[in-house]
Order: sequence, then structure tokens, then C-alpha cells
Amino acid sequence: MTLTHSGTPEDFVPASQPELSRFLSENATSAHQQIFPVGGRTSLSVCCPDSHSGTLVCMSQLHRVVDYPVRDMTITVEAGMRLDQLNEIVSAEGQRLPIDVPQSNRATIGGVIATNTSGPRRFSYGTIRDYVIGISAVDGAGNLFKSGGRVVKNVAGYDLGKMLVGSLGTLAVISQVSLNLRPKPECMQLVWFEFSSCESVDQALEAIVTSGTRPTAVEYCNSKAARQIVAESRIELPMENHVVCICYEGPEKVVKWQAQQIIEEWRSFSPLSVQIIEGTHAARLYHAFVEYQTSSDDPVTLKAMLLPSQMMSFIETATRLNIAIQAHAADGIVYGHLPDSASSLEDVNQILEQLTTGIDSRTGYLTIYQCESDWSESLPLFCSPPAGWELMRQLKQALDPQQLLNSPRFAKLVKH
Amino acid sequence: MVDPANQTSHLSAPVLEELERGSGPFSSLIQQLTQIVGKKALLYDADELLVYECDGYIVDKSAPDIVVFPTSTEQVSSIVKICNQFNVPFLARGAGTSLSGGCLPIGGGVMIVLTRMKQILEINLRDRYAVVEPGMVNLHLTNALKGTGYHYAPDPSSQGSCTIGGNIATNSGGPHTLKYGVTTNHVLGLEAVLPDGSIINLGGPTAETPGYDLHGVYVGNEGTFGICTKAIVRLTRDPEAHRTMLAVFHTISDATRAISEIIAAGIIPSALEMMDQGIIQAIEEAFHFGFPLDAGAVLLIEVDGLDIALDEEVRQIVDICNSHNVREIQRADTPEERQLIWKSRKQAFGAIGRLSPSYCTQDGVVPRTRLPEILEFIEATSEKYGMRIVNVFHAGDGNVHPILLFDERDQDQIQQVLEASEEILSKCLELGGSVTGEHGIGVEKINFMSRIFNETDLSQMEKVRNIFNPRQICSRDKVLPPHQTDLQASVTQSHPGRRAPH
Ligand SMILES: Cc1cc2nc3c(=O)[nH]c(=O)nc-3n(C[C@H](O)[C@H](O)[C@H](O)COP(=O)(O)OP(=O)(O)OC[C@H]3O[C@@H](n4cnc5c(N)ncnc54)[C@H](O)[C@@H]3O)c2cc1C
Ligand SMILES: Cc1cc2nc3c(=O)[nH]c(=O)nc-3n(C[C@H](O)[C@H](O)[C@H](O)COP(=O)(O)OP(=O)(O)OC[C@H]3O[C@@H](n4cnc5c(N)ncnc54)[C@H](O)[C@@H]3O)c2cc1C
Repeated sequence: MTLTHSGTPEDFVPASQPELSRFLSENATSAHQQIFPVGGRTSLSVCCPDSHSGTLVCMSQLHRVVDYPVRDMTITVEAGMRLDQLNEIVSAEGQRLPIDVPQSNRATIGGVIATNTSGPRRFSYGTIRDYVIGISAVDGAGNLFKSGGRVVKNVAGYDLGKMLVGSLGTLAVISQVSLNLRPKPECMQLVWFEFSSCESVDQALEAIVTSGTRPTAVEYCNSKAARQIVAESRIELPMENHVVCICYEGPEKVVKWQAQQIIEEWRSFSPLSVQIIEGTHAARLYHAFVEYQTSSDDPVTLKAMLLPSQMMSFIETATRLNIAIQAHAADGIVYGHLPDSASSLEDVNQILEQLTTGIDSRTGYLTIYQCESDWSESLPLFCSPPAGWELMRQLKQALDPQQLLNSPRFAKLVKH
Repeated sequence: MVDPANQTSHLSAPVLEELERGSGPFSSLIQQLTQIVGKKALLYDADELLVYECDGYIVDKSAPDIVVFPTSTEQVSSIVKICNQFNVPFLARGAGTSLSGGCLPIGGGVMIVLTRMKQILEINLRDRYAVVEPGMVNLHLTNALKGTGYHYAPDPSSQGSCTIGGNIATNSGGPHTLKYGVTTNHVLGLEAVLPDGSIINLGGPTAETPGYDLHGVYVGNEGTFGICTKAIVRLTRDPEAHRTMLAVFHTISDATRAISEIIAAGIIPSALEMMDQGIIQAIEEAFHFGFPLDAGAVLLIEVDGLDIALDEEVRQIVDICNSHNVREIQRADTPEERQLIWKSRKQAFGAIGRLSPSYCTQDGVVPRTRLPEILEFIEATSEKYGMRIVNVFHAGDGNVHPILLFDERDQDQIQQVLEASEEILSKCLELGGSVTGEHGIGVEKINFMSRIFNETDLSQMEKVRNIFNPRQICSRDKVLPPHQTDLQASVTQSHPGRRAPH
């Protein structure tokens, strides 16, 4: 069975949380099938060998709004709700969940939480972990449990929501979440700058620390990525050099002032060109940045998590290796798509070796985000094991002692 | 400081005997701890231990047997290993400002006080983080950052004394939580000594680390997952400007409706603090700020951000307050005036001291829109018990802090405080809220846990705790309701060489 295909007879589609819980409990006591929770199936092959036998638990029927007290600015929804649907509901009230999600017409809130998806806006709004105020989930044995609640401030009990954010469906199937919302800003503008070298980009990025403006997002792309983003958005970007794109959101007057101000501030770093993008063009370009990190059929997609101060030297090496790079630059999060010329495992390993030598192992990580399916068994998911690894293994053992939940994905994590 | 050779007169007879003999478990425990931290960093004199018999929660008391003051992670680790060897429970203490009895050493044992570990190890503005030791006082970090354009955002009202380690353990909030979030939103990683003495690192200085978010799970553990010995915290840009206002309302319900409306209008103030008539009168008596004594409620409203954005926000807020019958709005035009307004809020607790010998601060949460209901209920409870209850709280988060005034010397009053608190918190739950927004469960609210969570929820939480703290030797009987058998064990094991009371 292939994980990415849908509608096989063995799929299970629960219509309620108790039904999900009953199914998993029966599975744990009798069938012992491997369980693969799926949301929008936008990226099931990520980090995972993509064919296994087992049961897909599809969350598509669990997509209801449980409670939306609009003035409290919180919402409780079932985990299978698609992001576009969620955004539509809250947007009608002038609110939003300020998390960028690629393929948001298909991706589900459960999937976003399980994968800790985030995009450019994380610089000023944080990530999904900052918005989950309560969560319900079902573990491998079928135990339906919750933590947190529906109020924005609550410290009763341990924060199991944090445990599930980024857990990739290996600890429990997320069934319902309560989220904190934010007001929708009046307008957005982007300002892009073209620089001739990594060094001048680095200087400009350093100046963000003391800028008189407060950007919502700071995106970087090298020339190879710029070309792909231009193709996607049909918005002109310079394609021969390095591009930094700053995003501002808020009341129009304030956004406009900031766009002018950053141009003024960055004059001293001698950008080759500068442009302000507004209105639907801004939305289109922004969308292309959000989609870029995942929509790839390149042989390998990497994700590096670095200190912003160490990022540009990594990017310099990667650019030399012909890797297309996009970065949430002020946060040190880098996505890289390897060139088609990396056609064998040997090539990829060589590239990885060169990239990791530049990473300080105490303060930086490189992970394989997506790769050709027949390589996924052999490539390490993490190029160095994360801190607290032994405790993570114990956590998996405690919540899923029979190793029934997404275990191939977890096994992949364990290997390194 | 105590010198065991000549200051043992307050110790209990069996301990004294042991120490004189220079043998026995208690004596060798002290000897081994002394080897690690030195004589000056150890207390076991009964008189001196009295200071540590409670924290900011004064209703229950229980003294530890030994207090140690380590100065390094290695010392903490060695202390913990020795406690394991002797099978003696232990727990961490920061500044002891906990309001839920988090520092109460149930059954005694060793208290590890972290206030001597208070260094800033690194400040990195480019990468927007700082590394600090756990005993660092919250405000001292922000003071150290003055002039850099950055600060540490979580600012509990106790920030002048509470420690970053205590804040992490309790996931503290503060007046600026509404806009900037609570402690967990600002912790990137940490180092901790696990209850078996091993040293671990979770998370790190990068914006994201792969794997499970264990530092996120650690924050808010209330000391039950081991001892935090280092924290990597996020630094936040200082806002360019502030606008601070005091809005005086005739009634509480006008004020609470205005709050809801401000936020619904898409404005997230950096602070929205409410003071009711009782507290206004107390503050006025103590400090003469010039508040009208007959006002129903005063709101401290602050917006911050870019200077160019603020006047419009202020205009909208003033409009909303006007449409909710505001009596007057005072604006701070200078930094001095702003400080004065904040002083009134920050000294509220000091003013309460003048009203009654003791007070108990509660910590319920309701959805913001249910504030009028909970405040009415609090008033009714006050009347029912004939007990004065005043309110000063983080209104923007729906986090109420009714302060119950009583006299600790009167047993009946203590009982009434417990009952009234229970009623108020139950009402918070009924309104869809929680029994604690920032002070934690500690020992105070442990009985509520089985009302908020069912058995499965609690057993999952227990599984997670057991990963960190399988033997429950660290900060036992906190957060999760204990199993009866464990409770007995804690009494027996905490006094090595002494007999368990029957
Ligand atoms: C391993 C992995 C890591 C990713 N990391 C990032 C990232 O760092 N940044 C980024 O922007 N995008 C990331 N993505 C992309 C992300 O998957 C999509 O953007 C989207 O959020 C996924 O939603 P979905 O509903 O399509 O999930 P799916 O593609 O259906 O599932 C994705 C993963 O989530 C699990 N899952 C889905 N629903 C649930 C649920 N209700 N309970 C428990 N587990 C569930 C699945 O088992 C699977 O492991 C990642 C994807 C994967 C698979
Ligand atoms: C006047 C006043 C105002 C307050 N205002 C607020 C407020 O606005 N917001 C708020 O959230 N709280 C507030 N509090 C409560 C209290 O200040 C906070 O809970 C604070 O975080 C406790 O810090 P502390 O250093 O005093 O910790 P302690 O009281 O010493 O300890 C609290 C808990 O943390 C554990 N602990 C301490 N240090 C460590 C460590 N290094 N590792 C592991 N566990 C540890 C202890 O075991 C205990 O369980 C207030 C208290 C007072 C008295």
C-alpha cells in the first residue's frame, strides 16, 4: 500500500472522537495494524519511506467547529478542518490564525500541528505552538485525552499540547484543538532588496536587530530560488543575485511609513535595486514564498535551523553547491532544494557532508525534509541528533508502547 | 550560618544524637552535602528552616529537613544523586513567591534553593537570546538589557523578586501577557538536572529544534520534572513608544464590556489591568494618587509599538470607553506620569497589607466576555461570607485575582477563605475557564485536577511526568493528585533515620 494514495478499503474515516478512540483501542487489542494518521495528505511522503502496510486513519470527517466565541478570539475545531475553511470562518469576523500553511486548501489543522508547519510570519507572530491553548488526542491504545482548555491563559496540569506539536503523528492522533486568534491587519506591503553578495545581505540582516521598523517577515532567496519564485508568482524579482524581501502588516499609514523607512535605513548597505510591492501583487508574491518551501519535485529538500548570525555562511556554501535556497532569514530557518544533478545517494551524501561542516553542532541542525522515495531509508533524517533524544524515545514508548502510530516515521527518527 | 559543631540545639533529639555520634543516615547525608557545597551553603537548624516552611501561599506549611544553596549545575547534580542514594525527596526553590504552595516540601526532605545561581551567561542580540542561570531575578535580566533596545517580555507582578527558574517552572504570566504571551512563548531551551542526577539539554538557542518539543513540555511542570539549571530565553524588541491611560468607570460591568470591545475592535493593548473599588480605596489610602473613591472600577490601559501607530489606537480606545459611560480618562504624557500610573498598579499588593493582617490571592480564569459574570459572583461570595474581597487583575486575559482578606490567627476565617475560594474557582470552571491562569496547581489546587481532567487525562500526564521523574522523588505530590500509597511513602522516606509517624 502506498501512503499517498487515497480511498483504499482499509482506510478508516472516523466521524467522531469516540469512534476514533474505539477504533484505535480495538486495533491495539486485536488487529495490531500500523496506524497512519492523515490530514490533507499534502506531504505524507515527507521524511518517510512511502509504502507500508497498515491502516490510514483519515481525519477528513472530523472537520466541525465545536465552539467559536468570537469576542473571546478563540476557536475550538476538530483536527480534520482544512486551513482555508478555518481562515474563512474567522476572517469573516476580522480575525485570523497568523500561521502560514502551504497548500492550505488541503492541509488540516491537525496536520499543521503534527508537522509544526510555519512560514515567513513566524518572525513576528511565532509558530503554531504559540496558538494551541487546548488539545485532545487519542494515543496508540485508544485513550482519548486532553490538556489545556479554551481560555487564553491556563496553567492547570502539564502542557501536552506542546508535546504533540511537531510529533508527526507518532505519539497520538490529534482530534480536536482550541486556538487563540489574532486580529486581521488592515494591509500588507513587501519591499524587496537586491544585493550582490552574501556579505552585504548579512550586514543588512544584522541591522534588522535595531531597525526603527517592525517587520512581520524577513525572507531571503538566492538567485536559483528567485527564478522559481518568479515562475510561481509571475511577479518580477531580480534573478541574478541575492534577494531579501521584508513584509510589513498593519494600518496602511503605518505600513507605508515602514516601507519608506527601511529603504532609508538600508541605503548604506548599497542594494543593487529596491522595490515596494503592494495590493494583490504583494499577496501573490507572499503566497509564492509560503508555497516555495514545500512544493518541490527536486531530489532532496533540506531544512536547516541555524542561528541568524551563522546563516549566511551556510547559505554561501549551499549556493556554491548549486542548491536553491529560501530562508526565513531573521529566524535562521533555511529551506534548500538540491539540484537535479544530485542524482545518486553518493552525490547527496557528499553535499550533506560539505553543508554540515559549516554548522556548529550545538546551535544548528540540518534535517532531510523530503527526498526521492527509494533514498529515504538510507538518508539520515537529522544530521545530528537533537538534544534530549533519549527522553523523546521514552516518550514515544510511554504513549505508544506497541509502536503502532506512524512507526516507520518514528523508526526513521530513531536511526539517527 | 549554622556550624554543626556548636549550633545544634534546635535540632530534634534523634538528629542531634546522630550528629553527636557522627554516624547514622542523617548525619552522613549532611556530611556528604557539606562536601559538595561547603558549610556555608547548608541549613538544618530548626529555627532557620522555619523561613522555608512556606512560600507566598501561607495557608499550609511544612519545613524541609535541610536547605542547600548550590552554585553550579554540577553541584545540583551531585546533591540530587546523594538524595537518591539516601532515598530522600527534594525540591527546587527560587525566590519562594509561589502563591500555590509549589515550594512546600511535603513530608520534608532537602530543599535546593537556586538563588546563588544568578549569573547572566550570555547575551546575544543578533540572535535575540540570553542564557541565564535559574536564580536570576526576572527584573535583573531586563535591567541588564537596558539600553540595548531589547528586554525579556514575561513580567510577573512579582518580577522584582521572583526568579527565571521559578517563572519557567510555573509558566508565569504578567501584565504584558495579553500582547506578548506567557513564559513558555519566550523559552527557547534549557538545561536541567533530572531527578536521577543526570544533566540534560532541551531545545536550544535556534528558533526551532528538531524532534519533540520537550522544553515546551517542561515549562509549567511546577518543579516536578527536575531542576532547571540554565535557561535560554528569547529577547524581545523594546517598543518604540507607549501610550498609557487610566480610564475611570462608574461600574465594573461598564469597564469589562469596554475591555471586550477594545479587543474585538482589533486592538491588542500591551496591558489591560483592572482595579475595583475596594483596591482603589486601599491604594488611595496608602499612596494618594488622586483616584476618585466612589469609582466602580479603574482600567489601566497601555498600547505600545511604533509611535506613528499609537495615536489612532488611543483614539479608538477613547471612543470605545466613551460609549461605555467612562467617567474620565487620564493620559500619561511624560515617562514620569506613565511610571506613576504603573506604580499604582504595582503597589496594589503593598496597599492590601494595610487592609488586613493576611490575604489570599486567587487566580481564576474565564473567557474574557464572562468577566462581568465572575465579578458579580465574587461580589456575592464576599457578601455571603461577610469577607472583604478586592480585585486587581489582568483583565485582558480574563485572568481574575480576587484577593480575600482575612486574619490568619482565626481558624474560622481560614476555613471561610478556603470555602469562598473553592466557590469562586468552581464558578470559573462553570463559565468555561480554569482554576489557575498563572500561579499553578501546587498543593493548593490539587483537588481541582480531577474535576478539570478525567482519569485518562491525568494518567497521560502521569506518564509524561514519569519519564522525567519516575520515582517521584522530586517535588512529590504536586500537580497530579497523589495515589494514596505514595503519600504514605513520602512521609516515611523523607526523614532518613527517623521513624514515620503512626
Ligand atoms: C514530517 C513532516 C514534516 C513537515 N515539516 C514541515 C515544516 O517544518 N514546515 C512546513 O512549513 N511544513 C512542513 N511539513 C508540511 C506540512 O505537512 C503541510 O504543510 C501540512 O501542514 C500538513 O497538513 P496535512 O493535513 O496535509 O497533513 P498530512 O500530509 O496528511 O500529514 C502530515 C503528517 O502529519 C500527521 N498527521 C496529520 N493529521 C494528523 C492528526 N490529526 N493527528 C496526528 N498526526 C497527524 C501525519 O501522520 C503525517 O505524519 C511537514 C510535513 C511532514 C510530513
Ligand atoms: C505579589 C506577587 C505577585 C505575583 N504576580 C504574579 C504574576 O503577575 N504572574 C505570575 O505568573 N505569578 C505571579 N506571582 C506568583 C510567583 O511570583 C510566580 O509563580 C513566580 O514564577 C515564582 O517564582 P519564584 O522564583 O519565586 O519561584 P518559587 O516560588 O521559589 O517556586 C515556584 C515553583 O517553581 C519551582 N522552581 C523554582 N525554581 C525552579 C528551578 N530552577 N527548577 C525547577 N523548579 C523550580 C518550585 O519547586 C515551585 O514549584 C506573584 C506572586 C506574588 C507574591
